[in-house]
Amino acid sequence: MTKRHFVLFALLSAVLAAIAIPFIPETIQKAGLMPPATVYRHAEETSSVEKPCSNDHPDWRQAQVIDGVAIDAAPSCEPDNPYDIAVAVKGVNNVSMATLMQTDLAQDALTMTDDVDHDGDPDVIRIKLEVAELNGSSPDGDFLINTYAIAPGIQPGLWVYAPKSRGMALKNFNSVVAAPLLRAPSPTIRVEQGDKVYITLENTHYLPHTIHLHGVDHPWMTGGGQDNDGVEEHPVFPGKSHTYEIQPRHAGTMLYHCHVQTAQHFMMGLNGLFVVEENQPDNWVQTFNIGAGQVRHPSVAVKKAYTQEYDLFYQSIDKKLAHIIQDAIDPRLIAQRMSRDYNMTESFENYFLLNGHSFPYTLRDAMLIVADNENVKLRIANVQRSSIALHFHGHKATITAYDGVEQAGGLQITRDVFDIAPAQRLDLSLKTQNNGLDSYGPGLWMFHDHVATGTTTDGMEPGGNMAILAYKDLLDEQGMPKMHDELLNEVFSKDYYAKKQALWAQGDFAHLLGDAGRIAPDYLRIIVFGLASGLAVGLFASIVIIYKKKRAL
Amino acid sequence: MNLQTIITITALMLGLIELSFAGMHHEGMLMDEQGMIMNANAALLPRDCEKISENVDISIHAGQKHALKFNGKMFAFDTQEWNVKPCAKLNITFINDDQIRHQLMIHGLPGYLYPEGMFHLELYGAGELQASLIMPGLKKTYLVHCELPQHMEKGMKAQLKVDGGDGDLPSIPGISEAVRTDSYPVDWSGATVAILLLCVLAGVAAPFFIIKLK
Repeated sequence: MTKRHFVLFALLSAVLAAIAIPFIPETIQKAGLMPPATVYRHAEETSSVEKPCSNDHPDWRQAQVIDGVAIDAAPSCEPDNPYDIAVAVKGVNNVSMATLMQTDLAQDALTMTDDVDHDGDPDVIRIKLEVAELNGSSPDGDFLINTYAIAPGIQPGLWVYAPKSRGMALKNFNSVVAAPLLRAPSPTIRVEQGDKVYITLENTHYLPHTIHLHGVDHPWMTGGGQDNDGVEEHPVFPGKSHTYEIQPRHAGTMLYHCHVQTAQHFMMGLNGLFVVEENQPDNWVQTFNIGAGQVRHPSVAVKKAYTQEYDLFYQSIDKKLAHIIQDAIDPRLIAQRMSRDYNMTESFENYFLLNGHSFPYTLRDAMLIVADNENVKLRIANVQRSSIALHFHGHKATITAYDGVEQAGGLQITRDVFDIAPAQRLDLSLKTQNNGLDSYGPGLWMFHDHVATGTTTDGMEPGGNMAILAYKDLLDEQGMPKMHDELLNEVFSKDYYAKKQALWAQGDFAHLLGDAGRIAPDYLRIIVFGLASGLAVGLFASIVIIYKKKRAL
Repeated sequence: MNLQTIITITALMLGLIELSFAGMHHEGMLMDEQGMIMNANAALLPRDCEKISENVDISIHAGQKHALKFNGKMFAFDTQEWNVKPCAKLNITFINDDQIRHQLMIHGLPGYLYPEGMFHLELYGAGELQASLIMPGLKKTYLVHCELPQHMEKGMKAQLKVDGGDGDLPSIPGISEAVRTDSYPVDWSGATVAILLLCVLAGVAAPFFIIKLK
């Protein structure tokens, strides 16, 4: 090869490279005259869609009497198990075996004895709580176990207190879904003012925990001189138990929570409402309200003043914190990653729950269901990391108590946004008189945290703690809102919360607001670029090789 | 709920069966304040058994302290494997050394004798109970575990082999590897780095030595 050949080849290589440059294929390209067509991803055609209401237990909805316990109607899609309620009211020791067998409660979960003040109700109450992990990991494969979805396809790792149960912790033998007592939030606990209450924490979990009775009248030490405040330096280790003793003199809406590594354990879900009901004759209170929500057997004092009672529990989750228990199996790794590697000061809140669910699951069991001219008692707690600004559409409610302390009539404030700082509680009186102030009339009125993040699920709207204050006539026989089929079909879908689905890809506007498709690849451009660049590189390489060989000779 | 359970409950309600584990030898379910027994079977032979081959008395302890011998576990049984002959009758004494609930479940048994294929002992706290079951003749490995959330996952898992079993189940502490294992940092030290560098140097130098030798 002559020198001239070398120059020619080099020149040709450079020219080819120059030709290739403007033909570099693009991953994003400006549209020409016609932007790409709309593509359709109809979730309802895929397996990611769920029935809005599975309607598993229609017989649980009606008002009924079990073992002498009157249980109010609960028209929602997923009403509480009335047998759980009967046991929660009378104690395991005062119900029939047939009733107990309709629940998963252990035979020592709740014992109620000794009518000390002879007013017709038991005054010595023994409650046993366990700690359960939901959506945890397994060494047996890449799946989660004891699963509990907070929204379609969303299963963050959670810890909850649960009433002591018996038997399987899974729904059935072929399932990884958690048994019904194992859910968020931890159950609301109700006791009567003046009762002698023994709360035993049986730590079934693999890390230490405690129960701190936040705001509940309790001595600092037990009668036996042991810790009774449930703080960090007195942890109850795995496999151990500890009994806290109280005889609360003051009634009100309080909390209970774990005080070990409090920031993290609190945000993992170890907290619940603790309600001390006013002492009244023949006052059998509903000790557990599983999953919070409607109290189907309200106390005597509440029944005197209100038509219904609901526990509303606002909770948030940091998906990074929640993922720690799903990423490791060894308790030492989990402890290290949660207590030392994870930094709460750099955390976010990604999921927002009302009574353990985010919208649309809130429609199944976290709605307020009312009729005209009611006066509903709401006990609201915020255990989020941030404050909430709770807003009711179509209603103004009145604050009757702050942190379990009743307000005098003149100090009670009526408004439509309620700011609740972390760990604070509000008691509200919500009236449904259609008078333009208390209520603007029947409707399916939303209620939600008005902090912008609160109505999202990992940023996806509508989600978070959004729920509905529903007037009965506007619900169907399964307790789901009427006239919302289109929305329900869209949001009861894993794809929706995985952000795979266009928001308004239905009806007349599907074509206009569906997902824009992609531009077809320009194959001419790709071929020209491929050939030119390939040839340029090939020529250049061959020059180098031949040149080297010549020099070697 | 299965028929046997209903019958048992009905019997319990009528007071026909005393709520006690002492001397209990019948099917179905029994429970009291201490715990429960489901599907115990001391008499009925599995279809593939002509007679009971051997009587095996087994004591099984459950508790947090039994996990001490396994790194990275929290709960365990004191034994992780039992071997019995086909058609053996097992007389199990289940002892809970913790102050919390534990279970002993055996899965995969024939459904006609053990509803849902399961034998289930449960203690609500420290204590013990006894129950028997008769294993079928089939050569098989049965899962034994506590089903409380994260108890099996954190170590309370064992296996019962009949006639040598048909292999090991995964993630039995000390016996078999997990399907999904955690990753841990490797303990690199100065010496480890030095060994690596030395080997690299030796590798680099080797061809030169070979050339020189030639």
